[in-house]
Amino acid sequence: MTSQQVLLFGIVGKNEPLYEAEFNKLPGSTTVDSITRQNYFVLHSALDLVEKAAWATNNMYLKVVDKVNQQQVSTFLTAGNIKFMLLHSGRSEDSIRNFFIDVYEVYVKLAMNPFYQYDKPITSKAFDTKVRAAARRYLS
Amino acid sequence: HRFLQNQQEIKNKIEIMSKHGATQSGNALWAKMPKANAELFALTYGALVAELIRDYDDPVKINEQLDRIGHSIGVRCVDEFLAKADALLSLSPSCATLRETAEVIAKIGFKMFLGVTADVVNVSADGKAFSLYLYENPLTTFVELPSSDECEAANSCDLSHLQYSSVYCGIIRGALEQVNMRVECRFVRDVLQGDEVNEIRVELKEILSDGAGDDYKEE
Repeated sequence: MTSQQVLLFGIVGKNEPLYEAEFNKLPGSTTVDSITRQNYFVLHSALDLVEKAAWATNNMYLKVVDKVNQQQVSTFLTAGNIKFMLLHSGRSEDSIRNFFIDVYEVYVKLAMNPFYQYDKPITSKAFDTKVRAAARRYLS
Repeated sequence: HRFLQNQQEIKNKIEIMSKHGATQSGNALWAKMPKANAELFALTYGALVAELIRDYDDPVKINEQLDRIGHSIGVRCVDEFLAKADALLSLSPSCATLRETAEVIAKIGFKMFLGVTADVVNVSADGKAFSLYLYENPLTTFVELPSSDECEAANSCDLSHLQYSSVYCGIIRGALEQVNMRVECRFVRDVLQGDEVNEIRVELKEILSDGAGDDYKEE
């Protein structure tokens, strides 16, 4: 099985990544280190393009901002300028949009927690569980 | 016309009083109170607690501060409660037993100010203590206490002894103090810390005598 099936989801704040998760990893298989690093590299190098795309449209959902080899990076920009980014190899835009909207809801609820500060790494396990559930619902 | 209006009012009052007292009264008063946005309320309190945590290191001190804040609120709340309850219901004479007081707090007080009801349970044999079970807590709508491993990553903040809703204890203590009952009030179980229900234990310590305080003692 190729790593094509693995999706990398990252939340990036102003200075640093706040949250990362891989979805659809086949149980028992470990992604080769170089592939993982490459995935991270592709995802984060798309940040400049996200900024560019953000000025072009009014929407929060920025669709695909970058294409590298077979992989595409889709982005969702929150109202607080936090970037949700998904590295994938071709999913329907609608399912990705629904996934982002679900994650946005969970993110907003997290942001309302007085113990969570804006633009800090997200360590809540409840958040992690909900994001993975959303991924299973829309992206598998 | 005025006469008919009065008649109608009296009929309403009798109706309300004749149905089982506390719950109905609570609902009636809740309907008349001005409402605030629940999210704003929860967020304001959350910001207050977060700020206290930044100021103090010791969770016990934080609980004490919240209790003091609650005390200030309580002494003012009880006046509003008595004024409004009297106006609407021509409230029956004061409670004869602690149990009645507990029912009034749980069904009318909590309902009127917060919109949630509490249950009175575990009234002690001598009638000097009771517990309140709170199933819904509007203060903790979005709150999730950071787990201990998250805390170690940040700075040392042991929140396992923090009673987030200590303010309720202070409110009860302050309110009862104004009606001459000195109580001790503490949070026994907290949903935020993992229990199934919020439990507040209230114990009557002494009945205070009426008086205007030492400053006004006649010489």
